[in-house]
Amino acid sequence: MLRNVLLALIALVIAVGGGTLSAWYAVNRFDGFGALTVGQWTGHPEAGTPLSDPYAKARAAREGAFPLGSAEGLAFYAYDDNQGQALDRRCSYKIEGNSPNSRFWTLYAADRSLIALDPGKDRLPALHSRQIFRQENGRFVVLVSPKAQPGNWLATMGAGRMVLVMTLYDTPVGSNSGLVDMTFPAVTRISCDG
Amino acid sequence: MGKLFRALLFGLIGAGIVHIAVVLLVPFYSDRNAWSRISAYGDDWQFHSVTRDRAPGTVPLAFDPLFQAAACRFDIEDLPAHITGVGTTPYWSISVYNRQGENIYSINDRTAIADQLDLVIATPLQMIEINKTKPAAAENSVLIEADMDEGYVVIRSFVPDESWKEEVGSFLKSASCTPLL
Repeated sequence: MLRNVLLALIALVIAVGGGTLSAWYAVNRFDGFGALTVGQWTGHPEAGTPLSDPYAKARAAREGAFPLGSAEGLAFYAYDDNQGQALDRRCSYKIEGNSPNSRFWTLYAADRSLIALDPGKDRLPALHSRQIFRQENGRFVVLVSPKAQPGNWLATMGAGRMVLVMTLYDTPVGSNSGLVDMTFPAVTRISCDG
Repeated sequence: MGKLFRALLFGLIGAGIVHIAVVLLVPFYSDRNAWSRISAYGDDWQFHSVTRDRAPGTVPLAFDPLFQAAACRFDIEDLPAHITGVGTTPYWSISVYNRQGENIYSINDRTAIADQLDLVIATPLQMIEINKTKPAAAENSVLIEADMDEGYVVIRSFVPDESWKEEVGSFLKSASCTPLL
């Protein structure tokens, strides 16, 4: 008798505890299906639309963000460098290459919940494609670092993980015409202090 | 042993059910979704600037630092919503969201008529009426048919550098959100 009660209790604890924990994890960490991944960059063309899956919907309801529509743009996130290591705010990175078709793009560093980091007073919180220096062939190099850098410098501050957010505005990338040149810049680690 | 195994199995199945139920119910019970954020800004039928505040009790908003935005919530059950704005900015776009915060329609300055922000959001029934009477106020508007009652719009505009701040600010201030009579 007591053994049966104990077994029922075990089943209940697993059901309620496991179910709640896994749901909490999924809602807070999992972005949903239908990701568009190019190199280290991941975007979610269907996020925030009625077509998105239940996980993306649950996450959106917890963030309360205003997702970009298809005519507005599409955000891409880089969580790791090209070695597969998580991006760290204390490290310096080089973002090199070209970007896909869009009217313009913006680039900033954010924390894990995608809130833009404050780089400190008198430093630019973000870069955009109309202000950066480019090479003769149109490619660009952006240096992401807590220390001042020559050329295009995206300042970071503090410690911990970060996410690089590149938002393409007025872009055909999210549509599935298949006519879009999907070139994304590569994120390479240069050095790390501390 | 068999009984323990069966209890574990039931537990796992139950965990799956709880997981699915929680994930599906979160959008209905969340009190920090986009709608509550907009409601906290102020009254409906009025544009409020979107803030990135880290006020206690609220979740900070994930938003592009080079953008400024304004939001207005409305209820088109009785009358269609008419959204207009005047100004020149390097880029603006507007999204229509339903009560659940899903983006159901968006346009940017290049897809708008003559780069002007002028749109009407109407239910299918109101749309029939608009097409029949062709009100003068909505002559040059982009007409959006949306099968909903409560919803909101967010206008966002690009601020390439500090010098554009004022211009973009006045564009967002000029935006109006009124019922179309």
